[in-house]
Amino acid sequence: MVALIITFILLLPVAAAAGCLIVRRDNLGNGVILITGLALAAAALMMVSIAPAGLTAAELGGRTFEGVILAADMGLLIIFLYYGRRYKSRAVLFLSTAQMLLLGGVEWLRPPWVPFDAMVFQADGLARVMLLIINLVGPLICCHAIAYMRNHERHLKLEKSAQPRFFFVMLVFLGAMNGLVLSNQLHHLYFFFELTTLCSFLLIGHDKTPTAVDHAVRALWVNSIGGTAFALALVLIRVSKDTLDLQRLLTQGHSPADLLLPALALLCLAALVKSAQFPFQRWLLGAMVAPTPVSALLHASTMVKVGIYLMLRLAPMIQGTFLSRCTAVYGGFVFLAAAALAVGQSNGKKVLAYSTISNLGLIFACVGLNTPPALTAAVYLLLFHAVTKALLFLCVGTIEQHIHSRDIEDMRGLYAVMPATALMTVAGVLMMIMPPFGVLLGKWMAMESAATDIPVIMLVVAGSALTVMYWARWAGLLMSEPVVVPFRPERMPMSTWAALSVLCAGGAGLSAAAPWLYDLLVSAVIAPGSLLPVYTVHWGIMESAAGRFAVFPLSLLAVSGCLVSVLAFRHANRGRAVSPYLCGEQTAEPCVFNGPMDQPVKAGAKNYYLTSIFGEERLTVWLNSAAAVLLILLLGGTL
Amino acid sequence: MNHALIILGIGLVAGPLLGGLAGGLDRIVTARLQARTGPPVWQPYYDVIKLMAKELVVVNGWQAFCVYSYLFASMLALILFVMQSDLLLILFTQALGAVFLAMGALASTSPYSQVGAHRELLQILTYEPLLFLVGVGIFLETGSFKISVVMQWKDPLILKLPLLFAALGYVMIIKLRKSPFDLAASHHAHQELVRGVFTDFSGPLLGMIEIGHWYDTVLILGICSLFWATGPVPMAALAAAAYATIILIDNAAARLNWRWMLGHVWAMGLALALVNLICRHQG
Repeated sequence: MVALIITFILLLPVAAAAGCLIVRRDNLGNGVILITGLALAAAALMMVSIAPAGLTAAELGGRTFEGVILAADMGLLIIFLYYGRRYKSRAVLFLSTAQMLLLGGVEWLRPPWVPFDAMVFQADGLARVMLLIINLVGPLICCHAIAYMRNHERHLKLEKSAQPRFFFVMLVFLGAMNGLVLSNQLHHLYFFFELTTLCSFLLIGHDKTPTAVDHAVRALWVNSIGGTAFALALVLIRVSKDTLDLQRLLTQGHSPADLLLPALALLCLAALVKSAQFPFQRWLLGAMVAPTPVSALLHASTMVKVGIYLMLRLAPMIQGTFLSRCTAVYGGFVFLAAAALAVGQSNGKKVLAYSTISNLGLIFACVGLNTPPALTAAVYLLLFHAVTKALLFLCVGTIEQHIHSRDIEDMRGLYAVMPATALMTVAGVLMMIMPPFGVLLGKWMAMESAATDIPVIMLVVAGSALTVMYWARWAGLLMSEPVVVPFRPERMPMSTWAALSVLCAGGAGLSAAAPWLYDLLVSAVIAPGSLLPVYTVHWGIMESAAGRFAVFPLSLLAVSGCLVSVLAFRHANRGRAVSPYLCGEQTAEPCVFNGPMDQPVKAGAKNYYLTSIFGEERLTVWLNSAAAVLLILLLGGTL
Repeated sequence: MNHALIILGIGLVAGPLLGGLAGGLDRIVTARLQARTGPPVWQPYYDVIKLMAKELVVVNGWQAFCVYSYLFASMLALILFVMQSDLLLILFTQALGAVFLAMGALASTSPYSQVGAHRELLQILTYEPLLFLVGVGIFLETGSFKISVVMQWKDPLILKLPLLFAALGYVMIIKLRKSPFDLAASHHAHQELVRGVFTDFSGPLLGMIEIGHWYDTVLILGICSLFWATGPVPMAALAAAAYATIILIDNAAARLNWRWMLGHVWAMGLALALVNLICRHQG
């Protein structure tokens, strides 16, 4: 049964991707995408309901499978070399060649050896959480992309639709992610890791404009640094150990004599690059040129989470090491630094990008703290950040196609133009920063578990305050006047509606159900089979030794409070309409007052972006240098 | 069950009762410091009753939404405090209220309201880290974030965390909207910002904001009193002393700008907190 589902979940996206290429008719292609999405979601849910299990090498045909992976590895690197030559990027050429040599070296010196009884694909607790994120959020984003890409191409006035290619890559990417989280052999994981890099490159450059190509190449070479670090780590592990099997490495642990710890540091570097942590953040910022569903899928909810996934996998191995401690401080620093840069941004997608980097930093800090409560916090943040950020990205994409701007300032009074989307964006923002929603639950756990580590908690509290600032002002101006009553939702394609409302309702519903997710999913991730759970759940209240969060009761209260407030909103709208205060000098026109010489003057105020403090030009250099120092410390400390 | 209802009742009543009285006393003390007689101690209640009786007028219906949410969150935070719940959760809940108030002000396009809202957000940015560090400090001393455990602690925390208490002083000045940090809602409406974040709220909604502020006042004084939680008398004495000091500072200081607030409070407050935490826990 498990074997069947794993094969299904791996092969279906690829088959559907091929289907998208062949079927050129719009409706048929959309049907393929939707059915694939539903099937993937069902398979992922089934996976959660059955006992953890996997596929062994014997079941996969032993050596032939190894051969296929090796050939695919080399094929990928040849594609990288091809693009490196085509776009004249020396960095890509150099890094891909280096990876080829490293892989060749492993093959030649000590080829990876997978015994017949070794697990090749395994669905344990962590893999299940990731599978749920990938196969529930991913299809929703693809669904949103159907209408988005149609509009997008209409806007670009393309002669020949590039949509088949787009959906081909998106679906292959889903398959690659599934493979990545299921792989138990590090060299297989490496293949899927590189495959996601290729998908990201193709999707960022999808529009083929000079900027898009430029940023895509940048993403490729920066991510190749991660790939090279990964390949080097493979060599080091292979030299000092007889296996690349993750489960076996976990049970063997490391001794001071072998090279495992430096290899883990290199894997950590690969993870940080993939998650666009400072100083590698530029590729993610550049990736925002891609169509918004790409940003939502790859650069917010799934691909950038690969780094977190990898670190969570390795966390037991680095427990108590300097590497782990350093990762905690480094993560806390990135949380603060990216939040500071987000304060200075008025470009909506850039705010989202920085916020993603910032939240990933917080999760890295939790993984680095490496205690059961901190790891629980990391998993909660991972899960809820994926859902909420996907919602926010898709909202911004929908807004952008309507008002043709992604600047926050242009979204003032959006409620009058597109009330439903504005409300869902506000809901998304509230879910990012407010109790009792899931992201905040994660942040609460993170703070309570970081409290014993003074440097980390200092960074986290400062970053958290900055986070509140940049989100609150965005939500506030979406609800700015004018307000149009009664509420009449704007016209949107069915697929857009479905994706946005399911994500919004799902995020809120999952938040209320968070205590039960703990027993169902999360506790299995943190040291499976451990003696005592970190949190006890009763009546929807999560209680640990040090604290208590009444998630479900607070959710009920929040719902009732929200209902009362909505009634107040409706009641207030029926009252007498007045204009905003302009010292009593307002004219009949909105926002215009009688100035000197009785001349009409337009009044206006913009957000505080505080660019003199939080400007990108001003801060980036310093933050990058500080992060680089921390990174060198992190890598150097293992030698 | 009865016990829980009584606690709920205490939480709901304590806010308006103590908060309003504190406001009334504040006005009398301030007046005496300025050689005036001042209003009767019940004046805040008269003000709110009068506001509540006025016509409901809004620029934008979302203001009503935000004010109701603000009041709700502030009440909830105080109730959680009285129920001796988790300290960090209480801080998050009060932050929720503060954010809703700023969002309500952002919903009006009046420049006064907008600038006021941004200053309010800057104030939140300034005090939030300190407030959370206070929670962390209390946790490091007592080993728990639950106020029920903190209340059973035998030693006064202020002796162990004096610098953190000083940092909390900054938070209280900002949170109670006192000079030199009353940037967002300048107390006297004839100044550069009119009434800042409150400019476009009027009538019943302004009255509700006032009630919300009473709850906030009691909450922050309650957190302050945790520093000497050996019994009701020292708790009340510490809160009263802190409140009196803040009124004195309010009358003695002139308003500063946000740069000064952010720079000074972050530098001084975070340094105080850091020194105290390091002294206690990594020495």
